[in-house]
Amino acid sequence: MLINKVMRMNKLYGNKLAIFIFAFPALLLFTVFVIYPIFPEVLISFQKNDGFRNMGYVGLKNYIDVLKNDTFWRANLNTFVIVLLSTFVALPVSLILALVMDRLSEPIRRFFKASSVLPAVLSVTVIAQMWIAIYEPMWGLLNSILRALGLDSLALAWLADSRTVVPAIAVAFLWQYLGLNALLFYTGIKAIPKTYYEAALIDGAGFIKSSIKITIPLLQDVTKYLLVLSILGCMAQFAHVRIMTAGGPGDISRTVIYHLYYRAFSASDFGQGCAIAILFVIECLVLTFLINKFVAREKIEF
Amino acid sequence: MNTLMILMGISFLFPMYWMLNISFKTKSEVYNNPFGLPEQWVFNNYGDALEKFNFPRYLANSVIYSVGTIIITVFFGSMLAYCFSRMDWKRKNLALSYISMGLIIPSQVVIIPLLIMTRDLGLKGTHMGLILPYSAFALSSCVLMLYAFFRSLPRELEEAACIDGCSIYQTYFRIIMPIIKPAIATQCVLIFMNTYNEFFLAFILGAEDKIRPLTVGLLNFFVSIGVSHWGQIGAAMIITSLPTILVYIIGNEQIENALTAGAILK
Repeated sequence: MLINKVMRMNKLYGNKLAIFIFAFPALLLFTVFVIYPIFPEVLISFQKNDGFRNMGYVGLKNYIDVLKNDTFWRANLNTFVIVLLSTFVALPVSLILALVMDRLSEPIRRFFKASSVLPAVLSVTVIAQMWIAIYEPMWGLLNSILRALGLDSLALAWLADSRTVVPAIAVAFLWQYLGLNALLFYTGIKAIPKTYYEAALIDGAGFIKSSIKITIPLLQDVTKYLLVLSILGCMAQFAHVRIMTAGGPGDISRTVIYHLYYRAFSASDFGQGCAIAILFVIECLVLTFLINKFVAREKIEF
Repeated sequence: MNTLMILMGISFLFPMYWMLNISFKTKSEVYNNPFGLPEQWVFNNYGDALEKFNFPRYLANSVIYSVGTIIITVFFGSMLAYCFSRMDWKRKNLALSYISMGLIIPSQVVIIPLLIMTRDLGLKGTHMGLILPYSAFALSSCVLMLYAFFRSLPRELEEAACIDGCSIYQTYFRIIMPIIKPAIATQCVLIFMNTYNEFFLAFILGAEDKIRPLTVGLLNFFVSIGVSHWGQIGAAMIITSLPTILVYIIGNEQIENALTAGAILK
């Protein structure tokens, strides 16, 4: 009876046709639209290509042209600034919000959770346009507050000033996901068993001490997950730049993906566009590798 | 601390309130009185915005993209995940790492070949031209999360079904599918949020007006109207956000659970 059952299960799970039917459609879809495109991408990056036809192979010319262009480096610098602001400002703020959230009474926590996650749920177009209004030089929220505080000299044209435009976009972008990241940190905090805190309580450790000594170290899995997610998200930033400044003034606030978009679709140079894409993938892989190497190497089990 | 956090919570909502406030003001009042309540309430901003901003069509497109992506990804993704967790085949682990590669390839980088491919496949200007790439890029995380879920399920149920003489397809669709409903619901929420708010692929592959989703359609409206008429801009923002806000208020808890599912699982 038992042998019979095992044999029937094996027949069920080892059926070649069934395996094919279950696995093939998804693998095909994935291969065609995610993996396969990388091959023509590499190929086109060695071509002179205007988007409609290949006008001959040019070797490394596209790569050299891209790397020689100041705008490419400017775009990389801008992207890097956004990544740094996210890693060293936005994520720590989210973490602090989560730690405080853990101490709130239930109704207030629910209100805070719901309102802080709302921006992440709304459309990027709505949020970015809202920030255009906040940065508006004449009647915008930010300058109105600064003027009310008597800081008229600080009331700048935020999105038109080459010194402030990139941080201004970064703030809008990072603000949108601040609450969502706090919620993710908070979920991690909730998963830490309460017994870990009891010893600390007996030792008389306060909120700040127990957070630094217990909560934050035990959160490293979630921290790593959010770090990878937010860094890759910042690297691929396009929407807020497109909506708020279209890369301007001039080409000052372009990110790498915006530069790719501009070269490929506004300047009709698919060759350079693909070369930028390949360089970008390499950057992302290096970053992911570095995070995996240096952050939280051991998995924590409670 | 409670008061401080309530204030912070309100600060996240304030911009939305401000836009609502502006949407009832005349063009000139926005400049003279940006924050106070409207001195004279005007309601025609909404009508004027809807005349130039084809909200019903863009909303329909956004829903088509999101629902289409959900159906394809969840249907085929769950089958692959089931196949990974239960069936015995030789290159299973290789296939698992293969599908995981989707987690580190951002969809933005393959936009150029994708555009050429959709053109060559005759998908340009159709909804499928976006649904298929969206589904392909949504597959990796969907498959991996469902795979983890399947592995936590006991095999007894299938064994019972097997003894009753069910085929593998019957077992899967009649027995397994109903059990994994909560995990599927989580996936639906996650994929919906990502697709409904996706910008870059939609901006390039969905550039034709008849297939534009809300994100891109709204930007186009902003560009066409210029920066002068904030009353109408505010009205369009409120109209666009209303469905999302309603869904968020109704399904708040489920949405939060779905959003955090990825972080716990990893």
